[in-house]
Amino acid sequence: MSAGVKLEVAVGGGLTLRNPVLTASGTFGYGLEFEPYLDLNRLGGVVVKGISPRPRAGNPPPRLVETPSGMLNAIGLQNVGVDRFLEEKLPALRERGVATVVNVYGQCEEDLLHVVEKLAPESGVAAVELNLSCPNVKEGGLELGRSPRAIESITRDARAITRQPLWVKLTPNVSSIAETALAAEAGGADAVSLINTLVGMVIDVERRRPVLHRGSGGLSGPAIRPVAIAMVHQVYRAVKIPIVGMGGIVNARDVVEFLLAGARAVQVGTANFNDPGVAMRIVGDLAAWCAAHGIADVNELVGAVKGNQA
Amino acid sequence: MPYNLTAAVERQEDLGAGYHLLTLAAPEIAREIRAGQFVMIGLTDIDQMLIRRPFSVALVSPGPDGGEPASIGLLYKVIGRGTTLFSRLQPGDRLALLGPLGRGFWLPDPALEAGGGDETELLLVAGGIGNAIFPLLLQELGPRAARTTLFFGGRGRADLTLLDWFEAHAGRVVTATEDGSHGQRGFVTAPLAAHLDADPGRRRLVMACGPHAMLRAVAELCLARGVPCQVAMEETMACGFGVCLGCVVEKREPESDFDRFVRVCTEGPVFDAREIVL
Repeated sequence: MSAGVKLEVAVGGGLTLRNPVLTASGTFGYGLEFEPYLDLNRLGGVVVKGISPRPRAGNPPPRLVETPSGMLNAIGLQNVGVDRFLEEKLPALRERGVATVVNVYGQCEEDLLHVVEKLAPESGVAAVELNLSCPNVKEGGLELGRSPRAIESITRDARAITRQPLWVKLTPNVSSIAETALAAEAGGADAVSLINTLVGMVIDVERRRPVLHRGSGGLSGPAIRPVAIAMVHQVYRAVKIPIVGMGGIVNARDVVEFLLAGARAVQVGTANFNDPGVAMRIVGDLAAWCAAHGIADVNELVGAVKGNQA
Repeated sequence: MPYNLTAAVERQEDLGAGYHLLTLAAPEIAREIRAGQFVMIGLTDIDQMLIRRPFSVALVSPGPDGGEPASIGLLYKVIGRGTTLFSRLQPGDRLALLGPLGRGFWLPDPALEAGGGDETELLLVAGGIGNAIFPLLLQELGPRAARTTLFFGGRGRADLTLLDWFEAHAGRVVTATEDGSHGQRGFVTAPLAAHLDADPGRRRLVMACGPHAMLRAVAELCLARGVPCQVAMEETMACGFGVCLGCVVEKREPESDFDRFVRVCTEGPVFDAREIVL
């Protein structure tokens, strides 16, 4: 019954996904860890854990704490590094044929571009997603992703060294996400993905210390969904390039909400920890939702929210 | 391979002092789980519980027709929001369940075990709710369970849950309570140290589960005496299968700067005490 619903979405740079449901970076390992629980090929794609030039050990524990309808984490981008990723992980993902988006992290612009350059000749990279949460040394240590000027320049530099579709992942910790999205578009990004986690802190009142070793962390989960929806919609009204939305998606209803706000595709994040099979179930439920609502093509939903939109 | 399923509650037993034994119908997991491994459990409505909780499986029991294990029993203490919600579950309610997960306890290489009196002495050390990990181990040990000693500590008698069960299934149970309401007054490490020192030449294996400070003290006692020691760790984790990277502990001897941490959920939860910083 839902078999007739068209789920394919074009997300810029010539990339078409078989459906709009991807999994978010940092919540899906390198994808392969989820094979016991779902068929990777049923997903729109996977976004792998942020890859840095060299392996990273991550932060000391505690790294994670549950919050009301959410989770706060400061993992510290623990990852195997680009060389091992290319040797061990990418070939396995390529073999499976799943659309693989590689999230790229660096401690400075040079680091980040180094990883983009290493990925550039590789087949099996559906898109590169730039994680600009690193401190921007040139502009006084502010996160690179908070400065429109820095975003535009690094996107342009990355654009010059790769022909792979380029996504810029936007932080919500800014005064205007429409401005940072416009900067990514001006720099030549094929799509923007949003939102990354919100900065948060939990304090243990008995010990009078932050619960996380690092102090603050990134808030994710359903608690941030309304923030994400509002930001996706702001960005939708500002830019022409496709938007990949995320923030607290746990079911197909949430996916529809993001599409209505203007996202062309979405990423399921924290919910993967709760149920490793959830992303595939959401794909099936989304098709069923569309069928039940007389939607023949999921693209009909994109940006279709009505009423006041301030 | 772990199973990702929902399971019905069979029984919820209130053992007093905040301790509960929750029995779930989960034949696949009951058949495959090994002592020291764990399951992640959560409410089926993710809006009521975003992060599942790791639980040791305390014991397995056969179905009504006997034979193969069909149910798992989870022993827990009501502490926070999650365990409070679990304590309200009634027979027939369903839970989300993922498992078996992680690396459990391992026994000495049988090749090292000469015949008769030269068997490695197994010493189990439990602190408070850390006892939840040991019934399954004693079940697995079969006749050998009768040749184990359990050192069991708690704040008071009320924390020594399932004490009768342990007295019936372990060879010997030595208790210690901080308030002196049962056994020796003080920490469980005192009778453990006395036991290790009474016959220092004996080949032994210590298996411990309990509060972090107890594990550290037990590990120190054992390492100082060259006694092999396995510790079952508990850390906050979001996934239980190796991807959230939230539950790491520090390695004692990292091979490089990039290799400082191991995941409790995947490389553990049971570690050789020499592997990690406690």
